[in-house]
Amino acid sequence: MTENEIVELIAALMVLLGSIMAIISAYGIVSLPDVYTRSHAGTKSSTLAVLLTLTGVFIFFWSTEHYISIRLVLGIVFLYLTAPVAGHLICRAAYNSEVKLEDKTENEQ
Amino acid sequence: MPVQFLLNLLIAILWVFLKDEDTFEVPTFVAGFLIGIVIIFLMHRFFGTPFYLKRAFSMLKLLWIFNYELMTSSILIMKQILIPSATFEPGIFSYETKLKSDWEVTALALLLMLTPGSVVLRISPEGNVFYIHAMDVKDTKPMVLKSIQLYEKVILEVTRP
Amino acid sequence: MTNLIFVSAIVLFSIAIAISLFRVLKGPTLPDRVVAFDVIGVNLISIVAVLSVVLRTKAYLEVILIIAILAFISTVAFSKYIERGVIIDRKRNR
Repeated sequence: MTENEIVELIAALMVLLGSIMAIISAYGIVSLPDVYTRSHAGTKSSTLAVLLTLTGVFIFFWSTEHYISIRLVLGIVFLYLTAPVAGHLICRAAYNSEVKLEDKTENEQ
Repeated sequence: MPVQFLLNLLIAILWVFLKDEDTFEVPTFVAGFLIGIVIIFLMHRFFGTPFYLKRAFSMLKLLWIFNYELMTSSILIMKQILIPSATFEPGIFSYETKLKSDWEVTALALLLMLTPGSVVLRISPEGNVFYIHAMDVKDTKPMVLKSIQLYEKVILEVTRP
Repeated sequence: MTNLIFVSAIVLFSIAIAISLFRVLKGPTLPDRVVAFDVIGVNLISIVAVLSVVLRTKAYLEVILIIAILAFISTVAFSKYIERGVIIDRKRNR
């Protein structure tokens, strides 16, 4: 195996890891009990999944075609900044409109 | 602090001139800039102000913490999804921060969204009380409080050096 | 070898979208649906990125940015709607 093929394989494995994480977080969205715990799964794991995938694609294009894609870098930065913001906004909206918490939740305030 | 940056730039340009190449070469300029950084770092106590790259360094530290927390928190969440423990209790607790300006509070809220097992539900109108939803209160609350202390320290290093 | 891995990754992402679609259809409240919708947008971005690798083209990379921006803005608009009942506030002091 040449050096290029090894780098390609690493990129492909990163994409595969990202897709497995995406499936796990989608399963979490179905199986967890209420909105707040679901948003834990929706913001954290799926953000890491898409970041891993985009980084893998970036490395792939870099090694095969020597092409540094500015658009992919911009997309990675944009996702970094917006994923936590979107999660917080939707949680706050749910809390302010009094979506009910799961029964055994402790609420101390 | 701008004085230090300008001096660094001057050293880099001088380095390009003293190399006496035919055309302007970017690698030479970068090498001059790096040498300038070393010189300014050795001399910065004579300026009376802190070293100007200290702030950039703590920004890098903040970025590293951001990545590290993203990794650990998603591993924790995936463990929770795949092996659901029967005893986990979600809960809400509040935390009062000592950070003041808008920028600092925003950065702390973004970091808290990515800490293992915590989501910021709401911030009080004065901007100093966070209401945090935790996945498993008994387990994660001490851990979250410990990492909040670390974030506050690093954020303060960036904004008020 | 690598091509096989990329194609199977696309299949896995599609299964993830199908699972989250179940929550969009079922979800008891509106915030549930919006969280699932956000995850679908994020998975769609990954599919477009991997598809552009499989087809060996760079033409689809702009689509990533556009989907990311649209997903973020629609989440913000939905959360404002859930909180206040309107999307665009008109601040008039009467």
